[in-house]
Amino acid sequence: MTLPEVTGDGPDQIVAPVLDEALRDEARHDEVMSSAATIADPNTRWRRLSPRSMVVRPLTDLVRLLPLLAGLLILHARTGGGLVWGVIAAVLAVASGLVHWATTRYLVTDQRVYLRRGLLSTKKLSVARDRIRTVDITAHPLHRVLGVCRVSIGTGRNDLRLSENFHLDGLTRSDAESLRALLIGQVGPASAGKALPAGQVLSTGQTAPASQVLPAQAPASQDRAVRQADDAGGEIIRLRVGWLRFAPLTMAGLVVLGVLFGTVIQITNATDVNLAASGPVRRVTADYAALPFGERILVALAVAVAGYMVVAVAGYVAVYWNFRLVRDGPDTLRVTRGLLSVRATTISLARLRGVEISEPLSLRAVGGARCAAIATGLHVGRGAEREGSVLVPPAPSAVVEDVAAEVLGAPAKICAGPLERHGRAARRRRYTRALAGAAVIVAAVWAASRAAHWPAWVPIGSIAAFPLAGLIAADRYRNLGHRLADGWLVTRVGSLSRRRSVLGTDAIIGWRIHQTWFQRRQGLLTLTATTAAGQQHYSVRDVPVALGLAIATTATPDLIRPFLATEPAASASSGMTCRPDSRCGRRANRAGRRVSRAAGGGHGS
Amino acid sequence: MTSEGIGAGPMVPGLRTPANRVSKRAISYWTARAVLGAATILFVELGFAWAAKFSVGWRTAIVGTALVLAVHAVIMPRWRYRVHRWEVTDQALYTRSGWFSVHWRIAPISRIQTIDSHRSFGERLFGLANVTATTASAAGPVRIHGLDRGLADRLLDQLAVATGQVPGDAT
Repeated sequence: MTLPEVTGDGPDQIVAPVLDEALRDEARHDEVMSSAATIADPNTRWRRLSPRSMVVRPLTDLVRLLPLLAGLLILHARTGGGLVWGVIAAVLAVASGLVHWATTRYLVTDQRVYLRRGLLSTKKLSVARDRIRTVDITAHPLHRVLGVCRVSIGTGRNDLRLSENFHLDGLTRSDAESLRALLIGQVGPASAGKALPAGQVLSTGQTAPASQVLPAQAPASQDRAVRQADDAGGEIIRLRVGWLRFAPLTMAGLVVLGVLFGTVIQITNATDVNLAASGPVRRVTADYAALPFGERILVALAVAVAGYMVVAVAGYVAVYWNFRLVRDGPDTLRVTRGLLSVRATTISLARLRGVEISEPLSLRAVGGARCAAIATGLHVGRGAEREGSVLVPPAPSAVVEDVAAEVLGAPAKICAGPLERHGRAARRRRYTRALAGAAVIVAAVWAASRAAHWPAWVPIGSIAAFPLAGLIAADRYRNLGHRLADGWLVTRVGSLSRRRSVLGTDAIIGWRIHQTWFQRRQGLLTLTATTAAGQQHYSVRDVPVALGLAIATTATPDLIRPFLATEPAASASSGMTCRPDSRCGRRANRAGRRVSRAAGGGHGS
Repeated sequence: MTSEGIGAGPMVPGLRTPANRVSKRAISYWTARAVLGAATILFVELGFAWAAKFSVGWRTAIVGTALVLAVHAVIMPRWRYRVHRWEVTDQALYTRSGWFSVHWRIAPISRIQTIDSHRSFGERLFGLANVTATTASAAGPVRIHGLDRGLADRLLDQLAVATGQVPGDAT
């Protein structure tokens, strides 16, 4: 990997760049401002995916359609139409692969990355290179067999539809690696817009050879969980086998079970096979029914627990095997993981705005936690997007806190330790809300059992909801807190799912203050910092009014101070008002005047 | 501008009341909306009651909800009008909205990405418009409801000029 850009090691190179003139003009237009020579540069030309992607696409499509196809084949086997359907599906799949390869092209210029794809409806995407926050390289087993992978480029935009995601499915590993190094290696911590010549980036970049990134690594080392990363780059943490004990304590197993169940149902539906009536299942159920009642319960429990543990551990291994968090050069972090499907996410440190340490109750009970990055371009959301932001998988909380502090470069007290409490009113609110919720549940159960004549122990048993709610309220108050120090805003909420969010105050791009009527009576408010990263908003919940405003003021003094009342309530609004629907004559456009006054037609006080 | 009970003073001691009220016509608009919503609910209820042959239970339910909705339609718009305030400085956009629950939003001008004005059919009937300023945060849009239409247009221009002067969006 000595070339600044990959010029292709296969048929890529042979393909003459067929340029879409309009888009090329667009590209040229952008480049004119920077340097006229760019387009003439032989490296700056439209590239294609690896020809091997032609195989990936039809096969993944076929796998996805497998249940349906199986159903069709079986259904039509009786009428003899099965073969025809199979051939049609295969032809369509191959054609889609060809079209995908033939129509997808990308171009990297000094300023922007362009992507075009689609035959009938052509889609052209372009993204400014200084807006690239993350590069995510994924490869599922089929990809790996063929030696290709999928590259997704994360920008800070939140309003993208799925089809507008910037991704290239079917690049060779070396192409993907050099693209990654080119795109993310250059984003400096201070100047995101600074563009280095492409060659310079790769010659100095800490690019690991592709072979080191994607294929299986040696088993995790057992000695030290956290290692000091040296300046030039190094490993921060890798998976330890002992962490597998946390696997059954996460919800991941349930998700895997759900997917398995869904697949089985889908296949049985499509193929008309009644699993419950099949021989082995019948035999097992018959044996089970023959057991005495007590043993039946024990067996069921044992099977459920064992099955869940196996599935959960398998899920953990599949997702986090070979997990490594590496400092990849001076200002990028890189997370690699996966057993079958591998994933390498590169996060620009300049875009890392904080971390979120989450401790579901089950994990917390055994001293576990996990950690996700709060970065622009990575969503702390559902599904695949969430996976991209994992910084530490479920692991001992001490390890998680250490890694979080190291990655952020924040003092240890930011990511661990006690927080400032919110006081008596907040505690009362926790209890009121929990007990009110319990009261609603109990009332509903009583009403339902009166209407449906349930046995008496049901409504009486439901009273247990009150002490449970009390416990949850106590824990919720214990966990509720915040801290503002060293440029980090730390907030923590929750009980069943406790989350500690650490957000850099320089990432705060606005505030929301919310106060319900009840909060107003209790002198509390909920302060929410909005940001472009992660969940987009992080709240300090039920904080006393004065404390809440103090937090906001300390975090972003210039933003809040103009809106603080310097004098008592009554006079604050008089004299400063500009009645917007009145015409007050005087033009007020002088610098320093309120924009609103000008907007309102100008109004002297 | 006299202080008018709720909303005139700062609700949170320490946080200043934004300078500007929304258009007075917003009260009529919100009332109309509340009445329309109430009519829908009552219509559905009447349907159920008709199916149940206007039993005593349904009749009381209808009278009860009608009363509650009527009180809502009278109180909510006026309460809301007292709460809704906005202000644009050359630093930030500052709004207060809500009625039973109150929201304050502060978005720095330098972080505003798009500004748009929208008029629903109802708002057009009352000569109103709302202005929305979005930031790079999906959770950060600041919306000013119930503005006079002409004012909204001018505000839009002003904000466009103001945001154009500050580069970067801090993402």
